Amino acid sequence: MRPVTRLPLAALRCGLLLLLTAAGFAYSLLMLISVTLVVPFPAAVAGQQRLAALGRRLVRRWAGVDVPDVPRTPLPLPQRRADGWYLHGATLYRSPRTARWMSKFDHYGDDPLVAVEWRWLTLAPFTSAVPLLLPPALITFGLLALRAGPWGWLPAGVAITTALLIAPTSLRWFGQSTRYLLRERRHQPRRGRISRAWTAGWRLAGLAGLHLAAFGAALLTLVTVIPSWGGLLLMITTQTRPMTEIYRRQAHRWTGVSLPSPYRPLPTPPAPGEDGTYRVGRTLYTEPDIAAGLQRHRWVSHDPATWRDQLWAWGALLWAPLSLLPAILISAGFFGLVLQPLTWAPWAVPIGLFTGYWITPFYLWYALEYAGAVPTWIPGWTSLLLGLALTLLGLALAVPLTRARTWWDALLLSPTAATLLAAEVSHLNTTQSHLAIQVDELSASRSLLAGQVDELNSSHDVLAGRVEQLNSSRADTADAAAAELRRIERDLHDGAQARLVAVGLGLGAVARLLETDPVRARELLTQAQETSATALAELRDLVRGIHPPVLAERGLTDAVRAIALDTPLPVTVDTDLPGRLEPAVESAVYFAVCETLANAARVASTVTLTLRHQDGLLRMVVTDDGPGGADPSAGTGLLGIMRRLGAFDGTVTLHSPAGGPTVVIMEVPCALSSPKTSTS
Amino acid sequence: MRVVIAEDLHLLRDGLALLLESHGFTITAAVADGPSLRDALISHRPDVAVVDVRLPPTFTDEGLQIALEARRATPGLPILVLSAHVEQLYARELLADGAGAVGYLLKDRVLNGDQFADAVRRVAGGGTAMDPQVIAKLLTAGGAATPLSRLTPREREVLELMAQGRSNAAIAQRLFLSDSAVSKHIAAIFTKLDLPPSDDDNRRVMAVLTFLNAA
Repeated sequence: MRPVTRLPLAALRCGLLLLLTAAGFAYSLLMLISVTLVVPFPAAVAGQQRLAALGRRLVRRWAGVDVPDVPRTPLPLPQRRADGWYLHGATLYRSPRTARWMSKFDHYGDDPLVAVEWRWLTLAPFTSAVPLLLPPALITFGLLALRAGPWGWLPAGVAITTALLIAPTSLRWFGQSTRYLLRERRHQPRRGRISRAWTAGWRLAGLAGLHLAAFGAALLTLVTVIPSWGGLLLMITTQTRPMTEIYRRQAHRWTGVSLPSPYRPLPTPPAPGEDGTYRVGRTLYTEPDIAAGLQRHRWVSHDPATWRDQLWAWGALLWAPLSLLPAILISAGFFGLVLQPLTWAPWAVPIGLFTGYWITPFYLWYALEYAGAVPTWIPGWTSLLLGLALTLLGLALAVPLTRARTWWDALLLSPTAATLLAAEVSHLNTTQSHLAIQVDELSASRSLLAGQVDELNSSHDVLAGRVEQLNSSRADTADAAAAELRRIERDLHDGAQARLVAVGLGLGAVARLLETDPVRARELLTQAQETSATALAELRDLVRGIHPPVLAERGLTDAVRAIALDTPLPVTVDTDLPGRLEPAVESAVYFAVCETLANAARVASTVTLTLRHQDGLLRMVVTDDGPGGADPSAGTGLLGIMRRLGAFDGTVTLHSPAGGPTVVIMEVPCALSSPKTSTS
Repeated sequence: MRVVIAEDLHLLRDGLALLLESHGFTITAAVADGPSLRDALISHRPDVAVVDVRLPPTFTDEGLQIALEARRATPGLPILVLSAHVEQLYARELLADGAGAVGYLLKDRVLNGDQFADAVRRVAGGGTAMDPQVIAKLLTAGGAATPLSRLTPREREVLELMAQGRSNAAIAQRLFLSDSAVSKHIAAIFTKLDLPPSDDDNRRVMAVLTFLNAA
């Protein structure tokens, strides 16, 4: 049981909801006006949405009926583009307001909920006005009765009690009817035979309308084309084709008959022949514009679809009345003779009460009687039977007539076999030209690829050359190192080692002779001393050949200065190396310089040597004032230098024109380590 | 005469000490690396230092660098530099200050103890002791257009010995000449090398320098 205190509240709420429905009805009329005025439509829809939302909320709270809120998809508002315009659909708008209005208009136009909510606003008073009105009305009556005196207490009590008791029921009634009216309608195909026939009847009427429109166009074609001797054919017929196309699409949607577009494709404009004229049919034209116009004319007039369209449109004289028949039968029978008497009460009673003029439920029947169409002795209620019969006849005719119409449409509106073939050929032509373009593109990319393959091949050659070069320089280096080791071994074996043996032997003899022949012993001692000095000198030379001490002690700059000093001719040295090189590179460069200076010393009187390191490249230039004409292949000196530096990817260039000067340029890619200041 | 020895090889250091002590020198310090040599030169102020070019810790020309540094701090500090090899470059650096009292010899020269002791004594006395190999290289080096080309072969021989640091008497004995003949040759050398008249020792050093610079 509800708490007693809630009952008066329910009655009050009934009154408030009554006001809401009244306001909603008024608003629904405003909606109609806004639709006809178009411009205020989006704003009106927004207001309607607010009213419906309020209705849902109040129903949920007050009537306890669950009417879910509808999730509203956000409005797709047009954004400002980079160029300052606003895009809606395929059109650009300067003003954001116009674009926004267009966007809202389209959005609300497509929203099925707008119609649902409008229907609720319109129908709510009819479904709920009486239940909602009753409790407040009874309470008002009770209050008035109370004021009239003690005799009115009893009716007042009854009225107020009744009002309070029925108020919750009234609220629930309003809630349920609101939920029903605002329910989301899912479109689902009708299943039953009657409903199928019903739909077919209306659609048939719609198709008849379109057919009549096409007939109007055909009539227009006739009256224009005949006086102009076919001259205006092009202008008129091309305009009527879109209308026939609309019919084809709609017929496909409603009856399922497939009616593809039968027209021949637009011809490509005529190309000039060898003599510069343009051929259309059997005639040659000199003006391309005229040729193109005539060609289009020919395109339309030679297309069988043009004439089949015309013939089909004239068929409207027969088919339009036939197609409209079911709809007319159903309208007159069901809506006129059956539904109208059945719904007599809600509209005729108020009219009778207000005007005192009571309309009979069968007034259409009496109208027929009055016109003398039916005998007057037949009672009015038989119109119900007649209406039902007419309705059933209309429904029965709808499906067969649809079938017949479909036959007629398929007969004349679908493409002929010749057209299909022509379309196929045209399609193949297009495909062929596309293929030709693709073949062109492919051959272009093939030649591009071929170029890239060439590049890859050449870079492969370069790499192969590099590998070969590295292999040979590695072999050279290994050979040189092995030869060097053999030389050192031989020098030690034949030199220092042998001399030390001699010293040892000499000292042994000295020990024996010390007592017996001191003079001879002294001689031998002196000899041993000399031999050891010689051995030392030889070792010194050997060490210098392996790795010069001055290079180890001072680095390349001072080592080069030292060679310059040891060279028996004036050598100008110009070096600027802010750091040390890697030991191996340093050694190779040192010996290269030694070799070069030794070569120069044989022929020249002065030599200039510069040594620079820049951008990761060590560059030595040795210039002498000799007679020039040096042949790099003549001696082993230059080859030795090349071999030494080749191990570090170094290069040697010799410029030695006859008459001099001879310039040797040696370059080695290498890095400099941390700077170390030279000592002098 | 107090001597500081700097040599990293133990055997050679002891041998040098023995040799010099047997020739009447007093060894005040025998060190094995560069920093110790620097300390010894400062703290002992020896009459002469015998220094190996290559010393720890760098095993490059540490000894030479310290010798040059010490002579910059104390001009004319007598130092005899020993090395397993000789370089004109180093000889120039040692002689560059023109203060004399400097020697540069191969380690081989130690084999002849008397000559070596003599060279140490000469350096201590402010003279020079250049290794014959340095001098020999000088003679092969150098072009035609040098002051040396103006000398006669005999004068060159005298200059060579003079550059080695020999006294007039030693030169006379070596070349089988009279003392006066040697003096005459030396005077001719000074004139031909355009050396200004000054005290004899200084002129001798200058002569050697000219000789070296001619290369």
